[in-house]
Amino acid sequence: MTTSSESRLPPGTVLRGKWNGKSYTLRRLLGVGSNGQVYLAASGRSICAVKIGQDPAELQAEANVLASLDKRERGRSPFLLDVDDAVAGERVLPFYAMQYVPGMPVKTYIRRYGEEWVGVIGYRLLKRLSELHAAGWVFGDLKSDNILVGQYGRVSLVDYGGTTAMGRGVRQFTELYDRGFWSAGSRTAEPSYDWFAVAMLWIHVLDGKRLVQLSRTLLPQNRHPRELMTLVRTNRLLKPLESWLERALAGGFRDTEEACEAWRLLQQPQQRQAGNKSGVPGWMAGLFAVSLILFVSVTAYWLLR
Amino acid sequence: MKQILLITDGGSNVGESPVVAAAQAYAEGIVVNVAGVVDDGAIGEQGATEIAEIARAGGGMSRIVTSRQLSGTVQMMTRKTVAATVQQAVNHELRQLFGVESVAELPPAKRAEVVRVMEDIGETAELRVALLVDASASMRSKLPSVEEAIRDLALSLKAREGESMVAVFHFPGDATDEPCVMDSDWTHGTDRLRMLTGKLKMRGTTPTGPALLHVLEFFRETCGNIMIEPVQTPSPIKRDDSVEVRSDYVV
Repeated sequence: MTTSSESRLPPGTVLRGKWNGKSYTLRRLLGVGSNGQVYLAASGRSICAVKIGQDPAELQAEANVLASLDKRERGRSPFLLDVDDAVAGERVLPFYAMQYVPGMPVKTYIRRYGEEWVGVIGYRLLKRLSELHAAGWVFGDLKSDNILVGQYGRVSLVDYGGTTAMGRGVRQFTELYDRGFWSAGSRTAEPSYDWFAVAMLWIHVLDGKRLVQLSRTLLPQNRHPRELMTLVRTNRLLKPLESWLERALAGGFRDTEEACEAWRLLQQPQQRQAGNKSGVPGWMAGLFAVSLILFVSVTAYWLLR
Repeated sequence: MKQILLITDGGSNVGESPVVAAAQAYAEGIVVNVAGVVDDGAIGEQGATEIAEIARAGGGMSRIVTSRQLSGTVQMMTRKTVAATVQQAVNHELRQLFGVESVAELPPAKRAEVVRVMEDIGETAELRVALLVDASASMRSKLPSVEEAIRDLALSLKAREGESMVAVFHFPGDATDEPCVMDSDWTHGTDRLRMLTGKLKMRGTTPTGPALLHVLEFFRETCGNIMIEPVQTPSPIKRDDSVEVRSDYVV
């Protein structure tokens, strides 16, 4: 196998599938994954993403996941568009074409548009995961780079290379987000594996520097969710999410829908205000004052009449 | 499926040739992978050549990495070897049944089916991995990373559906006539996995070849008749030399 980074295909390269006969004109490289490169491509008038790999079996395994998701989730436009091989000179390049998803990684999005988007993005992400889990899959390699956020916090998962059937060993993961790495459980594909990664996502997005520092300095035997929670409690942005994060790290939800619901409750205004010193939100105090004044003036009017 | 994973930092200097020992293991159906651990960036040309040769003879793959990368590398090699072993067997069947050389020659629709079956086999087949750790003096500073890599591998294997066992050996042994020592017999998961710490004798020799033969003997004793690989192709394992992976671990 050649290194995926050493043989980039120049823009304008045309891939012609030898089985299905469709051709794709590559426009630009979108990203390099662990087992292939993803290009933005045009086929006729439509735009799609094309993943080119070296190992046809490995690529097909990924395409199988997409195909099975398409089968389970009818009623949306399909992820997987085509699977084929292109002949480029001597070499055969296995590839598959999929829906192109514009957007930017969560970390970039939050940096650009602000932390107030955490609630919406987190909610949409959990909803997406609960669909995936209901279909019998665990996403596995959940991390900022694999979650693209489009307009107004719309979330799409990309790179299904880690997606694993429920009950099997997670196929691909990233150390920092992996619950095995943090001695918080097994690498068996189950919904709680993804919840853990979601918790890590928010810690990474909102306090990345300290998290990376922590993962480098802690001895392996000291890696534990309680270290993560110490970090959470001492960060202004993570503190309001504390109860949810603690449950997610411990795998303490009944199912992903419950995790989603708990996240939604967390985002309600009175809940967020509960962290304030007084415990009484300003608007409520204001309303009370107004009603008091009204009451006094009405009483006075009535008495003095 | 049987694998030996050798973790070392350089050349052997006593006893039988490790390349011949690896070739023998492969002939008996055991794939040998090699992880070379180098932190200061200097591995002799001789050491590097030997590492590559052992893996080639053993039908496996080799990587030279820093101790930080070891965990991920060990798991990637184990997983790729499982996939390659399944692929070999499947290719053999395909040749017999359809007269095609490999999965890649099937049209995508058929390929999808075959790959699904391959994944099932890879996930459910019984897997045994014997780790053989070079514990000679120069490896001392790297041993904590080695232990972590072993524990991490055991954790990943535990998540497989099929039965997965890990055994741990280190070399050289305590006595001059003892090439290597068993630290942990076949165990499932991480609980009873015993490690190397405190057991090290800092002898100057590196009997990689004899140690490999010792582990091979251990396989013979514990796994009964070792099947002979039915595949004729001499080096069918796909070699992947990419170092940069976007995800840290591919398991």
